[in-house]
Amino acid sequence: MYRFLLTAFLAWLVLVPALAAPPTREAPQGMVAYPLETLRAARRPGGPGRDGIPSIDRPRFVSADQARLDDDDIVIGLYHRGEARAYPQRILVWHEIVNDEVGGEALSITYCPLTATALGFRRGETELGVSGKLVNSNLVMYDRATGSEWPQILGAAIDGPLAGQGLEEVRVVWTTWGRWRARYPESEVLSERTGYVRNYRRDPYGSYAPLGGYYLPQSRRLFPVLHRDGRLPPKTLIYGVRTASGALAVDRRVLRDAGLIETRLGAERIVVIHDPGLDSAWAFRNPRGTSLDADTLGFGPEGVSGPGIEALEPLNGFEAMWFAWVAFYPATEFYAEVP
Amino acid sequence: MSRLWRRLTSSPGAMVGLGAMALAYALAFLWLTGDLAGGGSGLETGFPAWERLFERRGFLRFEPVGWIVVGGWVWTFSPLNTLLALGLGILLGLNLLAAWWVWRSPRACGLGEASTSLLASIPALLLGGACCAPLVLIWLGLPLAGAVAGVMPILLPLAVVAMLVGLWRLARRLDRPP
Repeated sequence: MYRFLLTAFLAWLVLVPALAAPPTREAPQGMVAYPLETLRAARRPGGPGRDGIPSIDRPRFVSADQARLDDDDIVIGLYHRGEARAYPQRILVWHEIVNDEVGGEALSITYCPLTATALGFRRGETELGVSGKLVNSNLVMYDRATGSEWPQILGAAIDGPLAGQGLEEVRVVWTTWGRWRARYPESEVLSERTGYVRNYRRDPYGSYAPLGGYYLPQSRRLFPVLHRDGRLPPKTLIYGVRTASGALAVDRRVLRDAGLIETRLGAERIVVIHDPGLDSAWAFRNPRGTSLDADTLGFGPEGVSGPGIEALEPLNGFEAMWFAWVAFYPATEFYAEVP
Repeated sequence: MSRLWRRLTSSPGAMVGLGAMALAYALAFLWLTGDLAGGGSGLETGFPAWERLFERRGFLRFEPVGWIVVGGWVWTFSPLNTLLALGLGILLGLNLLAAWWVWRSPRACGLGEASTSLLASIPALLLGGACCAPLVLIWLGLPLAGAVAGVMPILLPLAVVAMLVGLWRLARRLDRPP
């Protein structure tokens, strides 16, 4: 009896965190360019300890009309299962993670101010929190079920029971409030009633409108990185896409001019389409080499549509500061030429 | 220490000076640590988070419980952070006052010792201000932040110890017969 109880207790200890763990993929969505030991050794304390930057775990929302936002304020937009939500950058800069539920699905919306990266992840039964550590200046998240540590840009665990596995990503959009509201007029907006008292009128790092402080392209990074590349000023925002076999950074000015970029990443054909309404992009695999014409494409709540789009496979892409992208993906392709 | 205390309590000017120094330091400390910042307009107060009074957001750093907006300034108010800032300010003020008295004392060796103690309080001031303020380094754009972030938590206790030792040495000097 005693042995049975002990076995049951040990099984409970092992199974409960495992059951509550976030949904994962055996292989992360993007390549991991370094051995996990290298990434573990590259972790640095960012200043505040674990949860010293508190995630928002019970978010409240207001309507678009009630939101105290200017048109040029940066928001991280999410359109998921028919619901649109905007997460103001100047709230996320203080919290970095919102553990939300959208369309009946538990998601974490994450933002790292030091690398200007915003990514959404499925979180399952658990929540993601801010570990207080950085890799390549990038937020290292932890999941509250297993304690595994996940650098945000990688979306892969580098330490803990889930090391080597990847989180399931959900597309979020880096844009301005004016652009988001024009596309999604019914969007809800994350409220400043976060449960914490912060000065949401002030960004401690700098400003995006007008561009200033830490966010200036030529300003210096603060924390060490695993790889440096001087082809662009360090804080220049690029649009990045990664697959299991490689990574691609696209110069956003080139993307705006071209409208549509067709390139290759290893053996795969990749298409990146500029969304002029949101000034962001949509990335796809193009396995059959379908030909596309930028002039025939349209943009709506679901993203890009038009002839040939249904033959493509969506890929998650996101804006990032160049120094951080190239630190995680030192062999990244860099698309900077107008075709 | 007894002479320092007597001089302090018998001189209203010294008390006012101490209060002014403590207040100035506390304001600087709160600004450096981010509790006091710009971004406000008008006059507004709200205290919606008293339940977070004792909640820590770092070593010797506590969650604000409310905000006070006065013109362009916003004070995210934590009673414990404020008490800590005032305590540090009083300690620094006592150091400066004691150093001043030692310097003004009519003995040959007074100048050197007071200067040394005064100099010792300067790193204490800097450490005190820098303790929880990686953001200041970010504003300044110093790549130092990466190296300093890890030792931030020990800087505040270091500052307190440095100022206590400085005060003890100065008080002993003042108590010594001429």
